[in-house]
Amino acid sequence: MLKGARAQLLLLFAILRLKPKRTASHRGRLLLIAVVVVLAGCARRASVAPTDYLQVDINVPPTTLDPRFATDAMSGRIDELVYESMVRFDQAGKPVDELAERIDQPEPTRLVFHLRHGVRFSDGHELTARDVKFTYDTVLDPSSGSMRRSALAELKSINVLDDYTVEMTARRPYAPALEMATLPIVPAGSPSPHSSLLIAPAGSGPFRFAMYRRDEALLLERNPTRPYQPGTARRILFKIVPDATVRALELVEDICDFTENDGIQRDLIPYLERHPFLHVERSPGSFLQYLAFNLRDPRLKDIRLRRAFAAAIDRKAIIRSMLQDTATPATGFLIPENWAYAGDVERYEYDPDKARQLIEAAGYSKDDPRLRFVYKTTPEGHRMAEILQAMLKQAGITLEIHTNEWATFYADLQRGNFALAASQLAVASPHDYYFFFHSSMMPPHGSNRVGYSNPEMDHLLEQADTTMDPIRRRAICAQIQQLAARDIPYLPLWWINTLTIANQRVRGFVRYPDGSLRSLATVRFSPPAAPIAR
Amino acid sequence: MIDYLLRRLLGLIPVVLGVATLTFMLIHLVPGDPVVAMLGDSAQPADIVAMRHQLGLDQPLVTQYGAFLGGLVRGDLGESITMRAPVRRVIAERYPATLELAAAGLFVAVLIAFPLGLIAGANPGGITDASAMGVAVLGISIPHIYLGPLLMIVFSLELRSLPLTGRGGIAHLVLPAITLGFSMAAILARMLRQSLLGARHAEYMRTAIGKGLSPVAALIRHALRNALMPVITLLGLEAGALLTGSIIVETIFSWPGLGRLMITAINNRDYPLVEGCVLTFALSYVVVNLITDLAYGTVDPRVRLTSR
Repeated sequence: MLKGARAQLLLLFAILRLKPKRTASHRGRLLLIAVVVVLAGCARRASVAPTDYLQVDINVPPTTLDPRFATDAMSGRIDELVYESMVRFDQAGKPVDELAERIDQPEPTRLVFHLRHGVRFSDGHELTARDVKFTYDTVLDPSSGSMRRSALAELKSINVLDDYTVEMTARRPYAPALEMATLPIVPAGSPSPHSSLLIAPAGSGPFRFAMYRRDEALLLERNPTRPYQPGTARRILFKIVPDATVRALELVEDICDFTENDGIQRDLIPYLERHPFLHVERSPGSFLQYLAFNLRDPRLKDIRLRRAFAAAIDRKAIIRSMLQDTATPATGFLIPENWAYAGDVERYEYDPDKARQLIEAAGYSKDDPRLRFVYKTTPEGHRMAEILQAMLKQAGITLEIHTNEWATFYADLQRGNFALAASQLAVASPHDYYFFFHSSMMPPHGSNRVGYSNPEMDHLLEQADTTMDPIRRRAICAQIQQLAARDIPYLPLWWINTLTIANQRVRGFVRYPDGSLRSLATVRFSPPAAPIAR
Repeated sequence: MIDYLLRRLLGLIPVVLGVATLTFMLIHLVPGDPVVAMLGDSAQPADIVAMRHQLGLDQPLVTQYGAFLGGLVRGDLGESITMRAPVRRVIAERYPATLELAAAGLFVAVLIAFPLGLIAGANPGGITDASAMGVAVLGISIPHIYLGPLLMIVFSLELRSLPLTGRGGIAHLVLPAITLGFSMAAILARMLRQSLLGARHAEYMRTAIGKGLSPVAALIRHALRNALMPVITLLGLEAGALLTGSIIVETIFSWPGLGRLMITAINNRDYPLVEGCVLTFALSYVVVNLITDLAYGTVDPRVRLTSR
């Protein structure tokens, strides 16, 4: 502050020293002084951040405040602070109790949830089984237009057994059934947001919505019906700052307390790490970057060529340079922290000699003109495309990069209009393999955009979905991962780390592979530190 | 004058129709499906079909176009697909921010351009001319994406005089307005200088100086008024561009304007919202040009606004 005031005074002093010659210049001088005075008058005091207030910078706004209609990642992360579901995923991707205190499974198709007593929404009324049924009914009602309905495709019915007991029936024995119990619960009677998605129903989570200005900021304050520990945040301001450089400046200047993942431009990490009052942390993340091979292309049907691609890409070098060590080379879709992860799969290390041998074995000469592939990407992925292009060139493969904004890129993927494409995917459970590898899941039915079809894989995926015994299911999931690694219709490149940058005041943030922000509710503020030296 | 206004307002109808038709066609021709983009990977085909039906996207394009035009006649721009709110309301929420920023940018541009242009035009070839034009060249050369963060570092982070980002009072407006207005000021200043150079040698200037006016007074009272016509034309064009071209400034300063909204809408293939935003921009442009035409008559009485 002193530094700023001194500079303003110096500027004023310099202007006043200008020797007046004419009236016009005198007026000009006065104008300049007026401008400086106005700027000084606009001054805000350098605030010492209050100890119960947290500012989190985010790059995109949530699309909705109603969890029944949220499908984007940011809405989901904020909803976790406001709403609770019967179960939620832990760090290993296993469903754990949240509103449910006990879950019984009397039959393979039936799940009975016993709800905790005394849970209250922020509007004061108690959460009961009727609220659970209401939430599910509104999502399942086709006229509501909820985008979450497809996640409940295997749900046959949901019934209230008593005030604190809910029965969920699946259409068939369905091992991932508990994943359907992760829907955030809203009070019975909450209107469907036909007029606007910015109407927020009450929630039973640690916070409630206090204010939202679209594309500007969202303020959460503590849910008055829930006690909270002193020393934790009483309010959280999510400020929407679309520019990555500005987000970094806000961190460095002690305006923002916390940001994570997409909020951080990788190039700026070394700069941010130079500031001792900022804690830059990397931890395992469940976002996968992968390269998809379109198997409808006769050249890419040849597994030798796909393996040549895998051997020609130096993933460790890309992670080190482009990603500033914020990723881990991937061996499959699931991260090692996931309960179903299998590490004993075929791995593809960087080996340019092997890549060339495989290309020759597939019947191509070096720089064969047939080794020219259309690679589809988005503007965000263009830099990586250029790196891959250079690496693959060494092996004699030419990439023709086509960059389009996301909606066009996605439409091309859905139509199979690509030879190679890189994309990202949030992998939460082994069930995600089904959407990407089962032959029935080709668009528009699912995400098998590469056209992969293997009866052995189909059989394993179906078994994994219907095997209720967790040990047997885990063994089947391991076989799925081994087969996927052997056939490589998708080349898993790396898992993107969960990256957080927090001011040293903020202590105790627990990192989740999916980037969940739920532990913002429990982070503690260390005592105010000495003024930060810059 | 009233005839002229009526004629211009009637002229809006084909403009609106043309813009609406072009926007409708272009956004529907671009690949990408709003429903697929919205529902994501795990959507069931039945849900996609249901959602498409609910939004009327399963209708033939001609029917959709007819419904769109029908709505337009009633002043109904439809409902945003992603926000589930009336487009008119969403735009009404954001338009004041865009207007505010454009007006402030214009004000800054005029505030910088007129003194610079006058100084340069009054002493062509001198050091003041070179300095003023140097500033103008700097203004044209320096991109928003560089000037914005530079101003932030100086005024928000070092001097701590102005807020870094966001929309609030006048203080929040200063830096984005300077960022937006500086390059426009440079263009205006150069245009003003050129116009003044032409006017300096006009006969009326010699007469004015012969009557005893100082060269500076003659320049301001007589030459400036005559030099304003091309400047006003440019001002009108640039003002329109300020309204539509502030997307980068809006992003840098987290300004909740219409530009950012439109980019998001295009990415999400939110057809009604894109159409609403483009129409708003087009209408704004037309209105700004109308104001420019009216300003001609005020500055130069020889210009008469008639229905012909």
